[in-house]
Amino acid sequence: MRRLVLVAALAALLGGCQPSPPKPAPGSAARPKVALVMKSLANDFFATMAKGAREHQAAHAADYELLVLGIKNETDLAEQVNLVEQAVAQGAAAIVIAPADSKALVPALRRAQQQGVVIVNIDNRLDADAARAAGLSAAFVGPDNRDGARRVGLALAARLHPGDEVAIIEGVTTAFNGQQRRAGFEDAMQSAGMKVVAVQSGEWEMDKANGVAANLLTAHPGLKALLCANDNMAIGAAAAVAAAGKTGAVQVAGFDAIAAIRPLLADGRVAATADQHADQLAVFGIEQALATLRDGHPAGDRATAVDVVTR
Amino acid sequence: MRAPRGSDLWVLLAVWAGLVALFGAFGPGFLSAATFGSVANRIPALLLTATGMTLVMVTGGIDLSVGSVLGLCGAVVGVTMVDAGGGLAAALAASIAVGTALGAANGLVSVKLRLPSFIVTLGMLEIARGLAFLTTHSQTKYIGAAVEGLGTPLAGLVVSPAFLIALAGVAAGQGVLSLTVWGRHLVAVGANAEAAAIAGIDVDRPRIWAHALLGALTGVAAVCNCSRLGSADPNAGVGFELSVIAAVVVGGTSLAGGRGSVAKSFLGVLIVATLEAGLVQLGASEPVKRVVTGGVIVAAVLADTWRRRA
Repeated sequence: MRRLVLVAALAALLGGCQPSPPKPAPGSAARPKVALVMKSLANDFFATMAKGAREHQAAHAADYELLVLGIKNETDLAEQVNLVEQAVAQGAAAIVIAPADSKALVPALRRAQQQGVVIVNIDNRLDADAARAAGLSAAFVGPDNRDGARRVGLALAARLHPGDEVAIIEGVTTAFNGQQRRAGFEDAMQSAGMKVVAVQSGEWEMDKANGVAANLLTAHPGLKALLCANDNMAIGAAAAVAAAGKTGAVQVAGFDAIAAIRPLLADGRVAATADQHADQLAVFGIEQALATLRDGHPAGDRATAVDVVTR
Repeated sequence: MRAPRGSDLWVLLAVWAGLVALFGAFGPGFLSAATFGSVANRIPALLLTATGMTLVMVTGGIDLSVGSVLGLCGAVVGVTMVDAGGGLAAALAASIAVGTALGAANGLVSVKLRLPSFIVTLGMLEIARGLAFLTTHSQTKYIGAAVEGLGTPLAGLVVSPAFLIALAGVAAGQGVLSLTVWGRHLVAVGANAEAAAIAGIDVDRPRIWAHALLGALTGVAAVCNCSRLGSADPNAGVGFELSVIAAVVVGGTSLAGGRGSVAKSFLGVLIVATLEAGLVQLGASEPVKRVVTGGVIVAAVLADTWRRRA
């Protein structure tokens, strides 16, 4: 009996896999389908991005159809490659993608481009060498993380004195945007004459950064500032500063301008952060893709604003 | 089965003392009240969950969902205090209720339906994390001073109330395991369920209750974490289950059940946390920290196993 049920279930499954109706040639439909392929939708930053895209589509419903796809966790490359292939199979005319990895997504995107799909790269820039080697051309729409971090660092440095000891709490060390932010912090500290005594990873997490910050404060009693590569880590670092009784004596900086950081900015526990306008990021990418579909030739790169927020 | 002996503790104590001496020799500021305080105030959540996990593992079960349940309970604390305007007591009650419910569900499903707890709690890992994102709309909740009391070091002491609560939890857990009939039943069920059943012990109930108790302790742990950070992060506790299980295993609790000690799990937590603090203070890079931590976990288990054979 049980085996019968199993066979029936399998048959049903296989039935579902029968050849689907022929898909329309990309771009030929009255309303082109644009697939937005994101990293984790459980992340506040990408959730905001998706929301901005949905609002834009609702306002321009006659111009295009939107397909929002996200992966479960930010390092699941295989799943994102799969999403790209699914988007092509569903007849997307354009794919706007925030790649989970700068290199690993290149082959899948090149295959999509060869089938006539327009590719626009947002948020995390694809590796230029890998893309060139594969023959992939994709416009990049996104923020300059290094410059943004440099300006956050300079805003923080205004509260310090040259020669002060500072430490950097970076993100996951393999992430390109994390590396860029660390480099931007280092640029700022060097130009302002501060001494970077330690660089440690908080792996983007509040709790990890809290532990790292507590130990940095102990190991370097003269520490005057903690520069964190995202706001969650800045909240963790600010809590460690408070637990050490050093609120006000040790400055904290973050990145992303999430909602939860606002009370800490308001009372000075966090000195500065950066707003990348996540809601606009995907919208600009979609507009770039639509322009390419309309004009028939690729649009260029577009830099999006990063604003330093200090209150 | 052999009754746990106090003398087994010395191997782990020696490993811990060795670490402290090593870091003290190389890290100038390591041997200080500030280091002790930062280690102590960081571990309450790990101590409470390791206590519960020891009881579950003694019965031969395991719970892979603790990290996600910790995240969900934290989300519940955030929503209770920020969106519903509740106080700390209400948040604690809600967090414990949710933790207990999920723990009991883990226990009931795995024991009554005869499914491996490894699989059931793997499913719960996904469910609880998804619920954590749903309840918070994937946003970190900033709670502020209302929750921070438990995590703030006490005046005149370097440790926080949360650490003292966790110590009390460890003491109670060890007491239950080695001094009560229920505790002996946990060990008996884990060592040989058939023999325990023949001896007239209800083999289902202790296992279900152990899972529920771990859930309740995870609820308390979530409040401790939120109070230390002043916020609730729905991503909190990703990978936390591995830290908990590592600490419990370093403490000599058998993955096969039938043997375990909460006091030794406490030392396991202490070893892992001291290592983390020392490596940061020495300025070790992330990859080096991982390699060393993994090595020490294996070495500590080896030392304990050799001591047991000798």
